[in-house]
Amino acid sequence: MIFKKPTIFWCVVVCMAAASAVTFTQAQAAEAWQESDLIAVLQSNAEKGEKAITCKRLAIYGTDRCVPVVAPLLADMELSSWARITLEAIPGPVADAALRDAMGKVKGRLLVGVINSIAVRRDGRAVDPLIKTLGDPDEAVASAAAVALGHLGGEPAGTALTRALANAPTGVRSAVAQGCILCAEGFMANRETAKAIALYDAVRQADVPVQRHLEALRGVILARGDAGLPLLVEQLRSQDKKRLSIGLRTARELGGQKVTEALADELAQLSPDRRPLLLLALSDRTDSAVLPTILTAAGTGSKDVRLTAINILVRLGNVSCMPVLLEAATGTDAELSRAAIESIIRMADKAVDTDVVARLKNAQGKQQRVLVEVAGQRQISEAVPAVVSSLKSTDVDTRATAVRAIGIIGQAPQAGDLVALLQTTRNASERAGIRTALQAICGRYGVTCLPLLQPLIKSRDNDLQVIGLSALAIIGGPDALGAVKSAIANGDASVQDEAVRILSTWPNSWPDDSEAGKALLALASSDGKMSHQVLGLRGYLQYVRGSKALSNEQKVTEVEALLTHIKRPEETRQAIAVLGESPCASALDRLTALTTDASVAEEAYSAMVVVSARNVRGISADRRRQVLQTVIEKSKNDGTKQRARRALRDVQ
Amino acid sequence: MSKEKVGLNRRRFLKTAAQAGVCLALPQIIPATALGQNGRVPPSERIRLGAIGIGNRGRYVLSCFLLQPDLQCVAVCDVRGDNRQRAKDQVDKANGNTDCDTYIDFRELLAREDIDAVLIATGPNWHATAATMAAKAGKDVYCEKPCTKNIAQSLQLADVFRRTGRVFQAGTQRRSLPNFAYAIELARTGKLGRLETVHAHPGGLGTKMSGWLPAEALPPRETGDWDMYLGPAAWRPYNLRTLRDGFNFEKGGGLVGGGCLEWGSHCVDLCQLANDADSTAAVEYEPVNGQLHARYANGVKLVMRNDGWLPNMGSCPVRFEGDTGWVETGDNADIEASSDSLLIRKGIKIPGYPADLHVRNFLDCTKTRALTRANADAACWAHITCHAANVALFLDRKVKYDPKKNEFIGDEQANRLRSEALREPWRI
Repeated sequence: MIFKKPTIFWCVVVCMAAASAVTFTQAQAAEAWQESDLIAVLQSNAEKGEKAITCKRLAIYGTDRCVPVVAPLLADMELSSWARITLEAIPGPVADAALRDAMGKVKGRLLVGVINSIAVRRDGRAVDPLIKTLGDPDEAVASAAAVALGHLGGEPAGTALTRALANAPTGVRSAVAQGCILCAEGFMANRETAKAIALYDAVRQADVPVQRHLEALRGVILARGDAGLPLLVEQLRSQDKKRLSIGLRTARELGGQKVTEALADELAQLSPDRRPLLLLALSDRTDSAVLPTILTAAGTGSKDVRLTAINILVRLGNVSCMPVLLEAATGTDAELSRAAIESIIRMADKAVDTDVVARLKNAQGKQQRVLVEVAGQRQISEAVPAVVSSLKSTDVDTRATAVRAIGIIGQAPQAGDLVALLQTTRNASERAGIRTALQAICGRYGVTCLPLLQPLIKSRDNDLQVIGLSALAIIGGPDALGAVKSAIANGDASVQDEAVRILSTWPNSWPDDSEAGKALLALASSDGKMSHQVLGLRGYLQYVRGSKALSNEQKVTEVEALLTHIKRPEETRQAIAVLGESPCASALDRLTALTTDASVAEEAYSAMVVVSARNVRGISADRRRQVLQTVIEKSKNDGTKQRARRALRDVQ
Repeated sequence: MSKEKVGLNRRRFLKTAAQAGVCLALPQIIPATALGQNGRVPPSERIRLGAIGIGNRGRYVLSCFLLQPDLQCVAVCDVRGDNRQRAKDQVDKANGNTDCDTYIDFRELLAREDIDAVLIATGPNWHATAATMAAKAGKDVYCEKPCTKNIAQSLQLADVFRRTGRVFQAGTQRRSLPNFAYAIELARTGKLGRLETVHAHPGGLGTKMSGWLPAEALPPRETGDWDMYLGPAAWRPYNLRTLRDGFNFEKGGGLVGGGCLEWGSHCVDLCQLANDADSTAAVEYEPVNGQLHARYANGVKLVMRNDGWLPNMGSCPVRFEGDTGWVETGDNADIEASSDSLLIRKGIKIPGYPADLHVRNFLDCTKTRALTRANADAACWAHITCHAANVALFLDRKVKYDPKKNEFIGDEQANRLRSEALREPWRI
């Protein structure tokens, strides 16, 4: 008895049974299992399920000691697979011997399993019995033996497999060919190339499925090295799609610059539809002959070939590709041009940045536009002076490209450059582009840009004032807010409108700016334009909603004061939304009062549910129940009623 | 799905794909015209697809395939009769006929020489075994994640696809979505400075195992083929709960189970790509206060954590931190970064992690024979990082992994968790 006390043994068994009786269970910690305990389970009358899980554990914690206990299970139809989990994992000759021994004891499917395990373990002493098993009348068994011999490798296995290629029944031959190919790989790993080639060639000449032929083709091309080139080229030219396919795969694997050069030569010989495919294959090779080949293709040949090559340069290209890519980028074909620009932008080589800066100095026309775009997209800060110079171009497209680039790489002083440019153009599209770029710079550099915007704020051109205000809104802070308020007070009508719109959205960007709250409240309670008042109301409600300084009760007070100025249901609904997000007793009071207004009653009921559903200090459970009951009785919205019922159930 | 809806979806897909091609960090390398995607594609030129394991997820991915103008699905296979019929109905409606063939045993589907490619969306228990069998049968494979149950299967998957020359795409579709691709490009091109830490949401870090439930009466094979459902998993008696377990059954295999594989096969995969680590795995793994910390040989740290993400990023968030900046994104497709200037080229927003662009990339690669975005090697190493993390979680201690030798260093127990025997007669 391995367990000193029977109770301990049965505790183990019971625990295992519990663990195995569920589909998933948390795996036990490694230290939890002792081999002796596990062996005891296998020797007991435990259920098969327990023995199965025990085999899994022995795969980790078992040693040679457990092998004699596990091995008999190889003949058990239900536990054989579990036993092999153990035996396959335990290193050493004892487990090897147990599996070899089982070869003579089990048949059919179980024998296939045992052979498969022998193959996984690479048990060299099993070669002879496996060679004998190659002739087994059970094709599944013979096939398993063939593949196992392939895994084990070596000359006796190779010889037996080669012989079997001709003699084996049709149903076994594919497995024999697999074995040959595996065996050949073993020879290649041992630098026994001639033996590998012989095996590959034997498969190529055998009556086996096409896929085995293709594998042998690949193998023999790789084994032959440079001498395999003619066979590779033959596949690339083949009208058989499968041979072309294996050729394209092998073209990626057969190493050496000489091969690359030969494939590059072949590129010109191939039919046009195959050239992009070979080009792509070449791009997966790693020697120094690849890039010149791709580069040549990027500059010459059919459009498909050029496009493929240009796209490949994203991955392989470097600064040496700039002339070819620039030529394509500035050419007349829009698709090639776009692809080339993208490639220049995305090439990882840092030297491209220096090259772009150098070329920008003297660039003109389309090349200037391309380089300016690239400078922006690659974020080349050294290119800023050249891009700023491009702002002065007489060509509107070049200026627009430069503006976009400045928006990306410009620093604070470039806000001034853009302001200056704004003052020289009346083109709406150009001004829109500059506005976007200006906002981007103001977003990055903030208050530093404030003085540079003054010409816009003070401009008599209303459009420029509006652009200036929009940039101020990005910067925020008291000075920017002051300028916006000043524009509302003193500006032209169109400027006022824009300033009011900017102020109304101020709390979205600067929620803690209480001065904005005051300005919005003033606007909301003013007798000015209706649209200004509405925007003021909305902005103020937004401010109240987001304010961290105000308590819920204070928010309700603010909303109540504001309600006296609200004339439309749209704004009342926004006020209700704020009340719903400010859970307190006074919010409930105000919402209850609002239910008398038929135009907003349902929104009020809905918000009442939101507030009452929460257990908030100051609102008793009775009050919450009463409010929710009211909603259930009076709301006409089924969804609201349903939520109220659910909330009512949850109220203690 | 009505024909009208297919048409609308197809238009939406084409529009999205076109926008993505222009805006993404994922340009289509070969022009669409050269691949025969534009306009009506004659039946003889279409890629013929078989779909294997078509439950809920499978039918969604299949719908992405059915949008493609150069594809025709001709057969579906599932061990469950209800899934099989629903999948057939879906395909027949898209094809406008009743010709879609159905199979219980996927080996019969693989034996068809007229099928070029397969979608594998079985439970993870089957993924690697079925995918490698498909490759050996000469099919290109789109396989849902997680693609493997352990480290050994991950390596075998890569080996088989290399040997067979077949195209493989793991169903890690976030590699084909612009927000993730953009964030990765920022990390890979030095825009964040020297990359220091990558963060992945694993969607759970618990290690679990599938058990052995009490035997119930076997249903007719047409309703549920239990032997084929179990497939490479060790034998256990029929139980309806296990049959319905689908996605979770034997996920991760062994004692280690799902762990970080749930989302890790997406998020860790994206971190691998951001770290230019598609050909390697992290070398150290340690459970730390409910997180899993790993380190790559290049010094970059990988943090798997379930919380602490920016709000409203959606599921599967990732975050990449360099010494001069950071970027974070998730399934809502928003991207946040340490500086607005990092985001100027972020392109279109495609929320909701759709798979159609990923499917398109797979189909293009079946024609060009190029590596897919989530090719077998990339999937292999991303999964190895997840599996090694799960081993550390299971053993509840630090483990070190050698990606050249593919073994844990000086750790016998960890090394035994690298693989698990497949039930007879299955092998990879």
